[in-house]
Amino acid sequence: MDTAAGRFLALTALWAAVALAVQAGRVAARHHRPHASRAGDPGRAILYNFTVTMLPSHKESASRHPISFSAGILLHAAVFASLTAAFVSLLSPPRFDLARPVIAWTAAIGVLACAFLVLRRILSRELRAISVPDDFAAAVAVGLFLAATAATALGRFPVPSLQVLTGLLLLYVPLGKLRHAVFFFLARADLGRRLGWRGVYPPPARTGIHG
Amino acid sequence: MAEMDLSRALEALESAIERSGAPHLDACVRCGLCGSSCHIYLTDPRPENLPVAKLETVARVYRRRRTFLGRRLPWLTGARDLTEQSLDEIIASVYGRCTGCGRCSIHCAVGLDIASLIRAGRHAAAAAGRVPKGIQDTVDNQIRTGNQMAIATPEFLETADWLSEDLSRERNSPDARLRVDQAGARVLYLVNPREVKFFPLSLQAAAGIFHAAGESWTLSSRVYDVTNYGLFAGDDTAAAELTRRVLAEAQRLGVAEIILGECGHGFRAFRWEGPEWIGKSYPIPVRSVLELFDEYLAQGRLKVDPARNPLRVTLHDPCNLVRWGGVSEAQRRVLRCVVADFVEMTPNREQNYCCGGGGGLLSLEDWGELRVRSGRLKAEQVRATGAKIVATPCHNCADQLIELSRVYRLDVEIKSVAELLYDALVPA
Repeated sequence: MDTAAGRFLALTALWAAVALAVQAGRVAARHHRPHASRAGDPGRAILYNFTVTMLPSHKESASRHPISFSAGILLHAAVFASLTAAFVSLLSPPRFDLARPVIAWTAAIGVLACAFLVLRRILSRELRAISVPDDFAAAVAVGLFLAATAATALGRFPVPSLQVLTGLLLLYVPLGKLRHAVFFFLARADLGRRLGWRGVYPPPARTGIHG
Repeated sequence: MAEMDLSRALEALESAIERSGAPHLDACVRCGLCGSSCHIYLTDPRPENLPVAKLETVARVYRRRRTFLGRRLPWLTGARDLTEQSLDEIIASVYGRCTGCGRCSIHCAVGLDIASLIRAGRHAAAAAGRVPKGIQDTVDNQIRTGNQMAIATPEFLETADWLSEDLSRERNSPDARLRVDQAGARVLYLVNPREVKFFPLSLQAAAGIFHAAGESWTLSSRVYDVTNYGLFAGDDTAAAELTRRVLAEAQRLGVAEIILGECGHGFRAFRWEGPEWIGKSYPIPVRSVLELFDEYLAQGRLKVDPARNPLRVTLHDPCNLVRWGGVSEAQRRVLRCVVADFVEMTPNREQNYCCGGGGGLLSLEDWGELRVRSGRLKAEQVRATGAKIVATPCHNCADQLIELSRVYRLDVEIKSVAELLYDALVPA
């Protein structure tokens, strides 16, 4: 962390963490225990909403769109792996060097997934209609970050430059669409808790949507 | 429209989102995958029918005011001000193109409560005095007369009288009667006024079941309406007023429990939303009549013979009762006891498709064509079961299903659970 790039990455990480925590805190502060008497188990429902309902067998957005869903999973896995790699490059360069092949492959797959999702957004009439510039800006930012990570792992891009690029991405995260990195968890927990309170989740055991 | 109306609408929209939807709004990635779970989009796949497109009409206004980029760089996030035009678009999206069924919410790739966010648009419209006429008229009826059909009290009492006479004759017992304004009864029973006006056999059936079970129950001649169109309107003030009236009547009559008749949105409104509207818990318990029927059967208080209902029966799950209400098993246990051939439609329970008549859409003539078209999935579900009778514990759903049966030539009869249970009763 003794380089300018390293300090920049550390500071932007702090900015992202604090800004997202403040936003999440504001949301959490508005939460209150429902006045209606409870009919179910919200704790179990939250767990259910983070596990079973995310399976393709229980989620039509996954089962009816397997390619888009898979691309989304690969993209997010690549983003988290690449973010981790950027910090490993800062905190433990030898470990980054050891993991270079894995990082390169993971990030490259992420680039492909990102490109697929951007193309889908451009080519689909429905998606064009609902898209805003932030959707493309976020995709380009993430795509560039992944490409830079892959290139760095392959030795074609300097590590400090990757750290600066990662920092720039982190500056943007709390402002636009990429906030879903945190709000995904809050939203899923909130819906699970709400449906759990009412006894909707978890529903009687079954094998899937049509079970 | 007055500037003041837009200002009130904006305030209501922001408040509704901040109360329950903010984390969901900030998590939406506009992937568009929600379309495959929406009965309206699936039967009319236009971009504006995507749940996320309906959500965006509301979200873009919120972003303009409450997000950093929305305030500074609105073009980047698609943020826009609330104007007469954007309010018109919100109104079309949230009342006309969405029944609030919530199926998109449980299938969202991210896990957002899309339906609740869309509902914030109804709060905005209500605050601006722009609730569509059909729904607003119903709310006004409820506030003015105490029931959505504006049935005068003498007419209600007259109906209760002749239903009582019929029931006494049918059950061969002078005690088999509709009970009205009986202070000290254990149960206050609320019904959909459509039963009083158009489906009296459903009300008579419930009375017959209460009699057979030896229940101490009463209707109130002043407050008997289980429905609450404040929910559909997005008008929390009216909804709270209707909720308070029921509680006050229950306390006046000194009942121990409030039992909600077969009505999807009425159950959701009173059981789950009501305490939020009035800002406190209820002093007495509230249940669906389905749960009470289920309890009677479990306790052996009713003798039934399923052979009395020999035709194949399937069950339609009202979204507000099941997906938003959590009552999914009681009606199934009852039906398995009282019909000879019960089959589930697929998918069912919280996964069930909306019939198309929810959210107050039945009251909106301008959207009738979309409503009937969006019911095609339900019609296909029903047809696939081969059932001759569709049971549904909701009169809005029943109205829509009757129309779907006619339009899609399903040749099915629509019945309430109470009617099927009553038909299966045998003398103790």
